[in-house]
Amino acid sequence: MRRLAPFFTAAAVAAALAGTATARPQQEPLTIYAAASLTEVFRALDSGQRYNFGASNALETQIRQGAPADIFASAAPLNTQNLFKAGLVEKPVTFTSNRLALIVPKSNPAGIRSIYDLRSKPVKLVIAGPAVPVGNYTRTVLRKLGLTSVLSKVVSQESDVKAVTGKIALGQGDAGFVYVTDARPVSDQVTVIRIPAWAQPRVRYEIAVVSRSSNKAGAQQWIRALLAAKGQNALKSAGFLPLPKPKP
Amino acid sequence: MAAIFLRVPPGDLFAALATDAALDAILVTLETNVISMALIVVFGTPAAYWVATRSSRLRDLVVTLVELPLVLPPAVAGIGLLAAFGRFGLLGSTMEIVGIDIAFTKIAVVLAVTFVASPFYVRTAVSAFEGIEPTLPDAARTLGAGPAKVFARVALPLAAGGLGAGAALAFARGIGEFGATIMFAGSLQGVTQTLSLAIYEQFDLDFDVALAISAVLVAVSAGLLLIVKLFSRWRSNSTSPIPFAAS
Repeated sequence: MRRLAPFFTAAAVAAALAGTATARPQQEPLTIYAAASLTEVFRALDSGQRYNFGASNALETQIRQGAPADIFASAAPLNTQNLFKAGLVEKPVTFTSNRLALIVPKSNPAGIRSIYDLRSKPVKLVIAGPAVPVGNYTRTVLRKLGLTSVLSKVVSQESDVKAVTGKIALGQGDAGFVYVTDARPVSDQVTVIRIPAWAQPRVRYEIAVVSRSSNKAGAQQWIRALLAAKGQNALKSAGFLPLPKPKP
Repeated sequence: MAAIFLRVPPGDLFAALATDAALDAILVTLETNVISMALIVVFGTPAAYWVATRSSRLRDLVVTLVELPLVLPPAVAGIGLLAAFGRFGLLGSTMEIVGIDIAFTKIAVVLAVTFVASPFYVRTAVSAFEGIEPTLPDAARTLGAGPAKVFARVALPLAAGGLGAGAALAFARGIGEFGATIMFAGSLQGVTQTLSLAIYEQFDLDFDVALAISAVLVAVSAGLLLIVKLFSRWRSNSTSPIPFAAS
């Protein structure tokens, strides 16, 4: 036992040192629940936080069920406003905007050259479900273009925009509606077909501090940085649009 | 478990089940799983018999391959199915030329369910065939029965309890399939949206419907487990006491 004593002493010292190391006041990472379309830009902007990316409607449900988020960034005002009305987040602010695009695999098996080809050609169309923001925006685009009949060519309703992007990038589907920003990371696998500006929906992203957060000050600071030049530049270079001017 | 049944009154649970989403999901799940089970039993039974009556090194390889889906994460199964049967996959591209369309069809769901559920049947079937007292097929052979007749008239009836239990287990796994299906077959109500996929979609849309479908799956799973127990008891009764053991 005596021979082991130095070992125990060393272990105790090591443990004490480790204790002081972890006890040092350290910036706890924020837990940020964000729309799937923000995956690349948020990770590039700040890799030091914990992210949960998904469909905004799914994230809304998770926060309703008490998920431990500090910040909620939604691809549609509806989801943040629902939580705001329920008192689960503080007042949301708009922080960026986006546009939709039609993407087809590089090999373009269905031969889609324009958005109107969706009506005339047999096509496996992949979109997001109606409750997902991008799925809702997709239906707005189709309504504005008078193309709601192509909804009968939908072969899968995916749970978020990244699932739509993946199915097209892989070539499983012939065409899919995503945000222009989702097409960029897979630009070697997909071709982007533009949607005319007049048919674009108003895609507005909102962000809010979650009321239950234990680090509201840190969360507010993170949102301020996102609204400042650094955050806005990162969004812009990822293809997001600047803040829409408030309509009178 | 209890939370699923207690959260909403039973009346509302039934009302939620009467929605199109729930009914379509029940039909899609039944249709695809019945086809999968037919495939699994038709191809799995002879395969299991072959494995059970051989003792070569090849046998270990076959058993490992058959059991692999049992331990693979469903996400890996989904990726594997995409790589094999995706439109640009190893076999998928050929099948598309032949005119068989797999992407986003019920065929994709059947493939996913068959892949993940088959080991449950084959494994149980192998041990059921192995559990047959070897004197019985031997006796049949000395009385002039050929290998086919031994399989059909002796091995099959003796292993029936185990086969039934295996089928029930495989069916239970099949109706719960989620990961491989959502990756490989997508999700469209009435076409590829099975019960598990419907729960996932309804979770954000209408929690009560998700709850109702979950309740159905709990009830069905409990029923299937009970069937497995009954089959197992039947098996132990049918194989022992061994008629010729004393002599």
